[in-house]
Amino acid sequence: MKKQIVELGYSNLEMMAVAASRILENDDTVLVGTGLPLVSAILAKKTHAKEMTILMEAVAFDCDPDALPFCVADPRAVYKTVWRPTAMEVMGQFLQRGKVDVGFLGGAQVDRYGNLNSTCIGDYNRPKRRMEGSGGANDIASLAGKTVITIAHERKRFVEEVDYITSPGWRCRTPDGTGLVHRRELGLNGGPYAVVSTMGVLKFDRTSGEIYLHSYYEDLGITREQVCEATGFALDTSKASPVGPPFKEELEALRTVVDPEGIFMKY
Amino acid sequence: MVKKNKVIALKDIPGFVREGDRLWTGGWTVVRKPMAMVWELIRSGKKKLHLVANPGGPEFDLMAGCDCISKTETNYIGHEVFGHPYNWRRKLDEPDGEEFYHDDWTVKTGALRIVAGSMGIPFIPSKSLLGSDIINPEYDGFKELRGKDKKVPRRKVKLMDDPFWDGDTVVLLPALNPDVCLIHAQKVGEDGTVLITGGTFLDYYAALASEVTIVSAEKIVSREEIEKTAEMNKIPGMVVDAILEVPYGAHPTALHNYYDNDPWWFRDYLEASKDVQKMREWSKKWVHGPKDYREYLELLGKKRLKKLCADGQKGYNPEMKRRLDRLEEVPSE
Repeated sequence: MKKQIVELGYSNLEMMAVAASRILENDDTVLVGTGLPLVSAILAKKTHAKEMTILMEAVAFDCDPDALPFCVADPRAVYKTVWRPTAMEVMGQFLQRGKVDVGFLGGAQVDRYGNLNSTCIGDYNRPKRRMEGSGGANDIASLAGKTVITIAHERKRFVEEVDYITSPGWRCRTPDGTGLVHRRELGLNGGPYAVVSTMGVLKFDRTSGEIYLHSYYEDLGITREQVCEATGFALDTSKASPVGPPFKEELEALRTVVDPEGIFMKY
Repeated sequence: MVKKNKVIALKDIPGFVREGDRLWTGGWTVVRKPMAMVWELIRSGKKKLHLVANPGGPEFDLMAGCDCISKTETNYIGHEVFGHPYNWRRKLDEPDGEEFYHDDWTVKTGALRIVAGSMGIPFIPSKSLLGSDIINPEYDGFKELRGKDKKVPRRKVKLMDDPFWDGDTVVLLPALNPDVCLIHAQKVGEDGTVLITGGTFLDYYAALASEVTIVSAEKIVSREEIEKTAEMNKIPGMVVDAILEVPYGAHPTALHNYYDNDPWWFRDYLEASKDVQKMREWSKKWVHGPKDYREYLELLGKKRLKKLCADGQKGYNPEMKRRLDRLEEVPSE
């Protein structure tokens, strides 16, 4: 298929959804959470990764929804599935047994090691802002082959230290709660592979487990300097390259097929 | 022993639930929640309930807003994309001096705990939670209750080296055995056999793990009819103690093949739940106002309920517009 560069305007949120969808491949089995991960996974399925297997923690197994599910248990997620298991099978068996290639998560805060907080802002015992709870995020980040994180790029979200480690990154919490330790020492496989933000895509150094800027949305006017300003810790941008705009078919699929109402995209 | 006549009325529900009970509410966030039974519990003035469903939806927030609960133990409490659980959140962000505890879990560990409960074993190993603050002793939401409250495990988790193989450290999780389990389903046979479509979630395990299980359904059908759907039946009547017929018993959550989420309910509820006083007025009108559930449905109106009607093939209403900031007017008579 010939890919056409889009001439229409588009938002950072749309670019983020597109960039995240591009990480997914046709042969992947991907376990997705609600929100932007769901939008990106369905976008991948409707564009370049038509045979990709989408799992959702509540019930949906290998689904290809006609309408955007509101949550992972929505009848919209169940429609066009081949099997309707429970969280016991999806999470306790398929995920824990190592059958999930990619875990796809959102969150409120991320640090340089890819530790993700989707539980609370402030001290856990006296929270400034308690969030809904993290669902299966911890399980997915612990047990998927690799984890992709989507998060808005703001200083308050890209932080030196997350307020609470919901989902373990490369250097995560010691069992006594006092320090940080490499996830392999705890016996955890997988690990964060990429963070897709509203400014670009960040990846992790294989040895140090530290995050670096991999690419940025130059077509939206984003520069390396702007990314650094919106990051709450020192960020290596030396390996970063610019990415162009979305392809026409990606944007069309997003706007007319995946989220026509703008439930997540808020057009 | 299996009790033969299981049919009860909605007003009997409070009689099955005691103060301090661990309550499992079936379904998943905004899908197939036992809302009518929860509604009746709230009306009866129940206090200090301990909610353990994985995960919780509007029923948790509603019970928080009506001061029926003092403990929550789950992986999620919320209304998904509709909005935030303001009543429950207030309990943690702005403590009012009333006793309130919350313990965080995850989808998989919550599932394994109820599976262990259903198997009659005291604990089960898990490969997640390591490296996170969910098992950080500083952040154990129930630490003050451990060793004191008999309905709370003595410790949250225990790490253990694999005693059999060359495996890694595992996290032992305590089994979960709720006192009462409330489930809403599409159909229930007069013997208690439960037919569920669109996802059983963890309800089969919860029904088996709980001391008492009550199932409301859109329709009670004969033994002969429920036998015809043996492949779709999810819970055997042996573990169902009482049944009742409550049409729209999961409103405003979605019931696969029957009705979709009620976006007007979520819009109005979310607005009210942001403020304590407005929440009181809301529950006065919608929870305490109607004489019974039939009157509650009348208050919603036939036209509105008809709008929620699911497409029999797709399982949801494909015409439904779901953005709360762009909803049309509430359909009125």
